[in-house]
Amino acid sequence: MSKRVLVVEDQEDNRQILRDLLANVGYEMIEAQNGEEALIAAKTQRPDLILMDIQLPILDGYEATRRIKAQADLRHIPIIVVTSYALSGDEEKARAAGCDAYVAKPYSARKLLETINQYLT
Amino acid sequence: MDLTGASSTRSDVSSEADPTSFLGQRPLAAATSRATRYVASMKGNLIGFKLRPSLRTKLLMAFLLFEVLLVSVGVIGLLALREADQRAHQVVALQHKIEAYRQMQHDTLRQLYGVSTALEFPDETTLAIALRQINQFGYDLDRVSFVAKDEVALLNQVREEYARFIAVVSHIVDLVRNGRTAEAKQSERSELGPLADKLERLTNQLVNRAEADMVAGIDVSKQTYSKSQLLVAAVALASLVLTLVLGHAISRSVINPVGVIHHGLNRLAAGDFSQRIEVPNHDELGQLAAHVNSTAEELQQLYRSLEEASRHKSQFLANMSHELRTPLNAILGFSELMLDGIYGKPSEKMRSALERIQRNGRHLLGLINDVLDLSKIEAGQLQLSLADYSVEELVNGLYISVESLAAEKNLGLKIVVPPGLPPARGDERRLAQALFNLVGNAIKFTDAGEVRIEVEAKENSLKFSVQDTGPGIDEADQAKIFQEFQQVDNSITKAKGGAGLGLAIVKRIVEMHGGRIWIESRLGHGATFSFLVPARLEQQAMQT
Repeated sequence: MSKRVLVVEDQEDNRQILRDLLANVGYEMIEAQNGEEALIAAKTQRPDLILMDIQLPILDGYEATRRIKAQADLRHIPIIVVTSYALSGDEEKARAAGCDAYVAKPYSARKLLETINQYLT
Repeated sequence: MDLTGASSTRSDVSSEADPTSFLGQRPLAAATSRATRYVASMKGNLIGFKLRPSLRTKLLMAFLLFEVLLVSVGVIGLLALREADQRAHQVVALQHKIEAYRQMQHDTLRQLYGVSTALEFPDETTLAIALRQINQFGYDLDRVSFVAKDEVALLNQVREEYARFIAVVSHIVDLVRNGRTAEAKQSERSELGPLADKLERLTNQLVNRAEADMVAGIDVSKQTYSKSQLLVAAVALASLVLTLVLGHAISRSVINPVGVIHHGLNRLAAGDFSQRIEVPNHDELGQLAAHVNSTAEELQQLYRSLEEASRHKSQFLANMSHELRTPLNAILGFSELMLDGIYGKPSEKMRSALERIQRNGRHLLGLINDVLDLSKIEAGQLQLSLADYSVEELVNGLYISVESLAAEKNLGLKIVVPPGLPPARGDERRLAQALFNLVGNAIKFTDAGEVRIEVEAKENSLKFSVQDTGPGIDEADQAKIFQEFQQVDNSITKAKGGAGLGLAIVKRIVEMHGGRIWIESRLGHGATFSFLVPARLEQQAMQT
């Protein structure tokens, strides 16, 4: 059974890049466009990994990460936070929210895949 | 209605020079409040003309007061002189009077003597002498009556007694002429003697009174003199005190406000627009202080609106660069996937084109990030994330990211870091960015030679230097290069391109670390950029 990655990202183009990237290595991609959808998808779909953007409508990435990590049955799912061009304390905030790793935008697709693979193999 | 029009209408009303109208963008509300203030101050002037003396009026009044004092001292002196003169006249008159009285006594004596002689040697000669004495006495009596208008009762008595005396003398002379010498002698003894005694007593009384008057007059004169002395001394003392008090009051009402205004202007010059001067004067200085205050208020408003505009600009730049980056991320992402062959293996031509897309895209991203950095720093949104870091690792990381750039241009890249440096503390990523910008510039502008990165440990601080063998920077341009969007304007920079943001960012990062940056360079002899930061920064420096 192929690994399933929940991608939380509000930009369609960015989702398309990840779709193509993940499909190429044979991962299944579940999509959510905001923090609220991410919470529901995490609960119902039980992905193997979550790729969480920070700037999201309705519920931002920090809060969504915090809430997922607060649930005992979801806590084990690794979350990689994708910070926007981080200037001030984005990493600290992401760490505080409980993420397992973070990558800064703009990310190289190749490097992102390396990080994802660390948690899925 | 355009604002420029509004401001010119306003200046018609107030006729004051408006130092801010050239901006042409002052809010209309401020103009209205200014106009209201102007009208209020006009009213104050109209009322204040009587109640609130101007500085000129104050000074005039003070000088007038001094003048009045001077004149009054003079008048007092003149009055004292006049009184002394009168006293002297009185004394002289009294002396004359006493002289006359004495003359009268003398006359009486001579009369008696004349009569006695006539009785002893009764002939026509002695009788004529006795009679002539009568005339002399009358003459002297007239003199006395002319001099002494008071003591009338006494004088009248003297006159009466003397009339009797004359009558007796005439009678005696008649008796002698008729040969009745015995009767004449009888009359002399019983009548003339006592009359003469009485006359002498009366004139003595007059003399005594006149002498007493004279003594009293001299006494009064002495008193008047010492009184005048006292008065003049008192007036002089009073005027001295008044001068001191007035001088103090005037200097207080002039020097104090001038000092306060001076202090206020100094603070204005130092950029403190919130302070207001308090000068209670209602004169020209009060107006000046009010003017300084209104200027400060306008400067403060202007400063606030400039600050706000600057904040808006920074916010706009931050938003804008974020918006620009989102599509750029997609461009970079897709072209990378294409290069990686996810959509099928690209042809060699296509690969070259994709690489160009990648390279230009990353360059564009770098520029956008610079703008974002600078605007965030300016908007005060950038916080350093302070942590321990290894200087050696920082420099090594930098070396890895720039060695390919140096290699492309065949430049030497040298690193000098003293071994065994203790862990430093600061924002490693920002310091790396600063160093990267400096090294990137050095490589960009150097066509041959080497770029040298050196770290020196100073007392409690670290000095990072980047030295190149490039064209160098003219002294006149050295001050400009740390300002945003400023580049040395010459053919070299035009050929190399760039937005002129890198050094401005480096400077801000260094300053946020509480450090400083400087350049040493001579045209044609390369350049050395150095910055000094605390070795262990525990708290971000205040932004200026």
